[in-house]
Amino acid sequence: MKRLWSWGAIIAGALYFLLPLIGTLEFSLRMRRGEYSLDAYRSVLADPAFRATFGYSVAMALLTILLGVLIVVPTAYWVRLRLPRLRPVIEFITLLPLVIPAIVVVFGYIRLYNTSSLLPLTGSATGTNLLLLCGYATLALPYMYRAVDTGLSTLDVRSLTEAAQSLGAGWVRIIGNLILPNVMGAVMSGAFLSFAIVIGEFTMAALLNRPAFGPYMQLLGANRAYEPAALAVIAFAATWGCMGLMQLISRLASVRRTAR
Amino acid sequence: MRTGWNWLGVLPFFVFAVLFLVLPTMNIVIGAFRNPQGEFTLANLAGLSAPRIVDSFAISIRISLASAALGCLVGFAMAAAVVMGGVPAWLKAPLMTFSGVASNFAGVPLAFAFIATLGRVGLVTMLLRQWFGINIYAMGFNLLSFWGLTLTYLFFQIPLMILIITPALEGLRREWREAAEVLGASTGQYWRMVALPILFPSLLGAFALLFANSFGAVATAYALTGSSLSIVPIMLFAQIRGDVLQDPHLGYAMAFGMIVVTGIANLAYVIMRSRAERWMR
Amino acid sequence: MSFLNLDHLQKSFGSTQVVHDFSLSVDKGEFISFLGPSGCGKTTVLRMVAGFEEPSEGRILIDGQDVTRLRPNQRQIGMVFQAYALFPNLNVAENVGFGLKVAGVPRSERASRVAEMLELIGLPDMAARFPWQLSGGQQQRVALARALAPRPRVLLLDEPLSALDAKIRVSLRNQIREIQQQLGITTIFVTHDQEEALSISDRIVVMHRGIAEQTGTPPQIYNQPATEFVAGFVGKLNLFDATVLDRASGLVSLAGSEIRLNRPIPPGRVSLAARPEGLVLAETGIPAEVTGVEFLGSVQRLRARVGERDIVLDRFNTDASLPQTGDRLHLSPELSRWLLVSHEQ
Repeated sequence: MKRLWSWGAIIAGALYFLLPLIGTLEFSLRMRRGEYSLDAYRSVLADPAFRATFGYSVAMALLTILLGVLIVVPTAYWVRLRLPRLRPVIEFITLLPLVIPAIVVVFGYIRLYNTSSLLPLTGSATGTNLLLLCGYATLALPYMYRAVDTGLSTLDVRSLTEAAQSLGAGWVRIIGNLILPNVMGAVMSGAFLSFAIVIGEFTMAALLNRPAFGPYMQLLGANRAYEPAALAVIAFAATWGCMGLMQLISRLASVRRTAR
Repeated sequence: MRTGWNWLGVLPFFVFAVLFLVLPTMNIVIGAFRNPQGEFTLANLAGLSAPRIVDSFAISIRISLASAALGCLVGFAMAAAVVMGGVPAWLKAPLMTFSGVASNFAGVPLAFAFIATLGRVGLVTMLLRQWFGINIYAMGFNLLSFWGLTLTYLFFQIPLMILIITPALEGLRREWREAAEVLGASTGQYWRMVALPILFPSLLGAFALLFANSFGAVATAYALTGSSLSIVPIMLFAQIRGDVLQDPHLGYAMAFGMIVVTGIANLAYVIMRSRAERWMR
Repeated sequence: MSFLNLDHLQKSFGSTQVVHDFSLSVDKGEFISFLGPSGCGKTTVLRMVAGFEEPSEGRILIDGQDVTRLRPNQRQIGMVFQAYALFPNLNVAENVGFGLKVAGVPRSERASRVAEMLELIGLPDMAARFPWQLSGGQQQRVALARALAPRPRVLLLDEPLSALDAKIRVSLRNQIREIQQQLGITTIFVTHDQEEALSISDRIVVMHRGIAEQTGTPPQIYNQPATEFVAGFVGKLNLFDATVLDRASGLVSLAGSEIRLNRPIPPGRVSLAARPEGLVLAETGIPAEVTGVEFLGSVQRLRARVGERDIVLDRFNTDASLPQTGDRLHLSPELSRWLLVSHEQ
């Protein structure tokens, strides 16, 4: 009886999740009338705008990961080591981006950093890129912080630090050479989540008018029929690849840790 | 206090959070109470009572409630099936991996996927017509509608629920179930008196998160419907772009309204959780 | 007619059989311990009685009723688990009253029964506390009260003491025994600790590899172990290399001394053995060389060598001077209490 219900839930869920994927794949192959072909993919990959926007978003994603690591790792480490009482505050702040919609945050950016403000970031392309980068780091903050904090919880941060200090290591060396490698698995899982979020992000990029992959996909969707389905398949494959890599790396990291 | 200069270590984090999270949000909140001359006013908020804005909030909240509730329900059922339902254990790892992927598969591509599946010439629409003679569009279904959008949002809501609730379900100890059973409780009594109360904080948190998740979602709806479905984030998006409304301070008020709605959802969660967790440390 | 009957129980998980042909009759009010190392099948038998595992073969009868196919919630059994399985979302009173509540007992009756149970376990003031506010020993007492509140026909205790500190373990086991005798409830207690089993049981079932090796009172188990496993698992045992002179009259020879056992030696391979406190020193007899001396307060423990075997001998601390390492002593063949241990086939 229980097993029947369970199988029912699993099969219904699997149908719901598989049908759109199959539908998209099938649709993406229908560009040539009467037969299946890869024309839609050929058309997408040949589009210079595809390459430009995809490249832009990949670069932004990598920079977001870098910025996220720089902000989150030292903070999470320092809070665990010296300021445990601040932890609830920091956790609350890192969860805010899940509560405040991204569109509200970016609206604030536009108003706060416009050309007539003290910090006119939106005035130049470089400035706007920087603003978008910070926006992405904000979006990724909850995932990055959770991942790193969980990673740190498996270490005895205090003993590690004191041992390193007794050997004469400075702060930069402790964080860079000792803490970071030890939480690398956690950092990587946070990094891939960040990557998956940034690569297709639409709202912030569209409102800040940056040539990112998300707005490009939206534009294509509004004007073409079959290419969007091909893009969706590519995007899904990219997300899936990210998750696969994340699992592989965290598994390798845990294997290495148990081997040590 | 021997904290001394310790706070310097978290200064970069706080500077970042203030500049790119707190100040922008505060700016919106304050802007909602100011007129273009910078004076205090409630006129912007009063502007929210315009019928089309009230309608947009109503439909947004309804979609978010529906997709959060259904997402919680279906996600819970699937997680429970895998954790304790007696299906083969190897199913769990692929389900979790898939949930990780699908919960991040939001935005523009998701809209494309559902257009290709349930759009007017989508695979499922066509198959239903060819095989069973059912024309869902003739029956009143529309992807660009309340149910269409809810159905689409479930694609990332259900996996998110699975990711959140699986660890909580795994935290239910076998001894609790066995102790309840041996004391004479039926399966229903065990769930009502022990398991659900223990899971309640996690369920509430998941619901609040799922609600905020769909309430703030722009990309999927925008790619699916353009600006034809007037849910709040789409209206605000158009407003910020300057397409529709010309009064920037009404935009402030709408954004403020969004914060209030997700804020209330999360406040309700915090209050109910603290009440539910009186038995916890 | 005994109260609880386990009739030729067998249990296999896949191709591995964890319980072989287990039979046991328990009288009403009896306290039975299942004793054995981990993986010996004792917990599996207990879980079959509770209804969590279904026997592959055999029957379980409680008070004449066949409960083999009944679900756990229909068996009217009380159970205490190893890792205090109190419901964390319910306070002490609600935990204790849980079984009464699901049985539909009215509120007022429930309250008085809960108060009575809390009195019984000596925690009358803890009703409003939540499990996390209690120590391990208190939690386990509440778990006992919870199990007893619905007046079960049988009480099952699954290593209830093993997660506790040594001191609490002793006081709680005495309390469990007191309450059990006071209520006269038929009880099965699973443990891997021989001291626990010996101290509070009416009878002990020593289990090994899914087989009941011996069933008997604590003195029987300790003084007349039926198998080498029982002898070795319960208490310390010295084995000797002896030669059988006459099986019928029970005459053996050990290091030149003749030992009269005054009972026939069973067929098959047997060993001559003795507990450390069963060996007595004498002027003449079996020669032994002292290899070490431990002074343990009330007891002097001598380590010695007899032939090829290392043995241990305990004796009460008297005024007699302590032997030294290297001393040559003799074991008395007549006064020592000898055991015969059958080897497994």
